[in-house]
Amino acid sequence: MAKIDEQLPEALPEGATWEVELRKVGFVRRLFMARRWYGADWWFVAISAVGVFAFIIIAFFPGLFAPFSPDALVGPSFLAPGAHVDLPVLVVPATSPVHTLQDLAVPAGADRSTVAVIEGAPTGGALNEQSQKIDQVIKNQPGGLRLRPIIDRYPTLEGTLQAVVNGIDKSAVVQTTQFNAIKAQFPTLRVAASITGVTSTAGGFMLGTNDIGQDVLSRLLWGTRIALIIGFSSSIVSLIIGVPLGLLAGFVGGTFDRLLSLLMDSLYAFPGLILAIAITAVLGPSIFNIIIAISVLYIPTYYRIVRGQTLSVKEEVYIEAAKSIGARSREILQRYIFPNVIPSVAIIFSVNVADAILTGAGLSFLGLGLPPTIADWGIDVARGQRFIQTAWWMITFPGLAIMLIVLAFTLMGEGLSEIFNPKLRDR
Amino acid sequence: MSDDILYSIRHLTVEYKTRAGAVRAVDDVSLDIRRGEILGLVGESGCGKSTLGKALMRLHDGPASITGGELWFDGRNLMDLSLREMPDIRGAEIGMVFQDPMTSLNPVQRIMDHLTETIQTHEPETSIATARARADELVERLGIRHERLRDYPHQMSGGMRQRVMISLALALRAKLVIADEPTTSLDVIVEAKFLDLLKELQKEFGLTILLITHNIGVVAEVADRVAVMYAAKMAEVGTTGEVFADPKHPYTQGLLKSVPNIKLDGGDLYKMGGEPPSLLKPPSGCRFHPRCPFVMDICSQEEPAFEPVVADHLASCWIYQEAGARNSSGKHQVHNG
Repeated sequence: MAKIDEQLPEALPEGATWEVELRKVGFVRRLFMARRWYGADWWFVAISAVGVFAFIIIAFFPGLFAPFSPDALVGPSFLAPGAHVDLPVLVVPATSPVHTLQDLAVPAGADRSTVAVIEGAPTGGALNEQSQKIDQVIKNQPGGLRLRPIIDRYPTLEGTLQAVVNGIDKSAVVQTTQFNAIKAQFPTLRVAASITGVTSTAGGFMLGTNDIGQDVLSRLLWGTRIALIIGFSSSIVSLIIGVPLGLLAGFVGGTFDRLLSLLMDSLYAFPGLILAIAITAVLGPSIFNIIIAISVLYIPTYYRIVRGQTLSVKEEVYIEAAKSIGARSREILQRYIFPNVIPSVAIIFSVNVADAILTGAGLSFLGLGLPPTIADWGIDVARGQRFIQTAWWMITFPGLAIMLIVLAFTLMGEGLSEIFNPKLRDR
Repeated sequence: MSDDILYSIRHLTVEYKTRAGAVRAVDDVSLDIRRGEILGLVGESGCGKSTLGKALMRLHDGPASITGGELWFDGRNLMDLSLREMPDIRGAEIGMVFQDPMTSLNPVQRIMDHLTETIQTHEPETSIATARARADELVERLGIRHERLRDYPHQMSGGMRQRVMISLALALRAKLVIADEPTTSLDVIVEAKFLDLLKELQKEFGLTILLITHNIGVVAEVADRVAVMYAAKMAEVGTTGEVFADPKHPYTQGLLKSVPNIKLDGGDLYKMGGEPPSLLKPPSGCRFHPRCPFVMDICSQEEPAFEPVVADHLASCWIYQEAGARNSSGKHQVHNG
C-alpha cells in the first residue's frame, strides 16, 4: 500500500486530471487493479474471510440464529417467504381456561362443547379433522374424556365471534388474519393456540416453509454445520494423506515415485463426482462415508502439488547447503522442504474446502450422501426441485447458500494465493 | 603422509552419467591441501573444479558418482565411510560456502535457527541457550550485528549472507572450508571485504580454505598456493608467487597473459586459440595439445605425468619431461615438497 504512494510522481502537473486523483484513492485504484489482474486483492480476502468466519460461527451455534429446530413441523406447508401466517386458531373469551383444542374435551356423556365457525369456510373441515385425530388418541386414555365438539355455523365473521361473546358458543375457530383484522371490535376475546398445534409466530417465516411445514431458514442455518463438517473433514483427511505421500514421492523419487504417481494419476483421471458416487454407493449413506469418498477424490490434488513443489525445492542450493552442514534426509525433509512447500498447500486447502462442499451437496442432492432426516442443503435442493413451480423458495435459498459458501472459500483461496505469490504481486 | 597435509586427494575420478555416455568431470586428479593454507583452485567454466569441491564432501547424488580414487582427510579415507556416516563429517569437519548467497540459505528459517541447528545437529547435547550464545559470539566476530540474527535471509544483503554461510562452517570449527566461487555474485567492494575476512579467519582460527574460482585476481590476492585445472585434469600446482612469476604449463602461461594488466602498455590482450575440449571425447594425450603453442609430436600420443618441475611446483607437460625418462607404465607419480 505504501509502495503505491511512493511510486506517485512528486511533480504532478497542477490541477491534476481525474485519473491521477483516482490513483490517490487507494480503494478505487485497488478495484481497478484487481479487475485488471483478474485476481484478487486484500479486500477480496477480507470480504471472503468475513463470509467464511460468519459461516463458521453459524455452523458452531446454529441454535442461536435459527428460530426453530430444523426437523420440527412449525407452520403450514408452502408458506411463501415473509407471508402472514394464516392458521385456523381457537378464539375464546379472555376469561376462559381453554388454551388448546384438547382443553375442549369433556367426559363421555357430559354436554359436548360448542364451537362457532363461519359457514362454508375451510376452518370447519379443519376443525373436524383435527378433533377426530385428538379424539382417537384420548378415548383410549384413562379419564374417559372425549372430544366431539358441536359445530355451529354462522353466516358472517362478526356473527361467529358475537356468538362467543354472547356465550352461545364456548369458542370459535377462525383464521388468524381474519381475527386480527377486527380484533378491536371484540376486546373480550383472545386467541388461544392454533387447532393444529402449530406454533405460529407473529413475524411469520422469513424464508417460507417447505412441503411439510418446516422452516426453510432454520434448515438452512442448521445445514451450514453439515456443509462445513463435510468440507473441512474431507479436506483435512486428504491433506493428511496427500501431503506426506507427495513429500516422500518427490524426495525419494525412483520406482516409489513412479508407482505412486501412476496410482494418483489414475485416481485423478476419474470424473470426480462419479468416483464419489461409486464409493458412497458401496459404503452406504452416512456422513462418515461421504467424507471418505470425498477425501479419496482430493488426495491426488495435494499429492501432485506437493510432489511438484518438493521436486523443485529439492534442487535449490539451500538444500545442498543443508547437506553440506551435515543435515540428514529426515531433517532436510522436515525443516527445509516441508516449510517451503506448505504455503501452497494452505492456499489450495481453502479452494479445496469449497470444492468438497460442492461435491458433498451434489452427493446428497442425488440421494447418495446423507440420510434424508438430516438438515442438509443438498437434500433441501433435491426436495425443492419437485416444487420449483409452486414454491420457488424451497430450492432457491439452499442453492444460494451453497453458492455463497463456495464463493467465500474460493475467493479467500484465490486471494491468498494472489497475495502470497510474489511473482503476481509486482505486476 | 606428512602431518602438515590436511586433505590428500589421490587419483580422484568423478563421472556424470548422461545419455551421450559417461562424462569424466574430474579425471584422475591428485592434489594435497596443506594445513592452514588458502589453496586457490582455478580453471575455466566446466573444467570440473566445482565437481571436485563437492566430491571432497562426497556431496554427489543423481547422475554424478565418484568412480575411483581415495580421499584422505586428516588421516582417514573418506571413501571407506558409508554414506550414512558422511553427515557427521559434513559441517563439523568440512564446511562449504556456495556461489550464490541469495539461494543458499533456507528462506523460511531465521539466521539464528540456521546456526543453532548446525550446532545441535552435530552436538545434540548442546542446550539451545549455549548454542545461541555461541552463535552470538560468532556472528559478532564476522561483523553482523546481534539483532540481525532474528532476520530472515531475504532481509540481508549478499555479503551478509555469505558471512552467515562462513559462520555456519565456523560454528563447529570445521578444519577445512570449501568456498565454491564465494565472491562471484558480489560486487567488487563487498568481494574485497569478504576476501579480507577470509584471510583474517584463516589466521585467527588456523582455518584451511579451498577457494574455487575462475577469477585469477582473487587467487593472486589471497591464496598461498594455486592449483590450475584444465579439462578435468590438474595442469599445474605451486605457490602463488612461483606460479604467477614463472608459470610452467602453457595453459597457465596463456591464462596469465590474457588477464588485463595495468602495467601493460599498448598492444592487444593475448587470446588463446581454440576452445575448451568436450569432456565426452577428450583429446588424446595431453588434453591441452590442440591449443598449445609449443605442441610436440608426443603431446597427442601420450599423456604427460603430473610431476614436479622444480621443488614444490608441479606441472603436467612434456616440455619439462624427457620422453625417455618417463615411467614406462604411464602411471602418475605425485610428489609433494
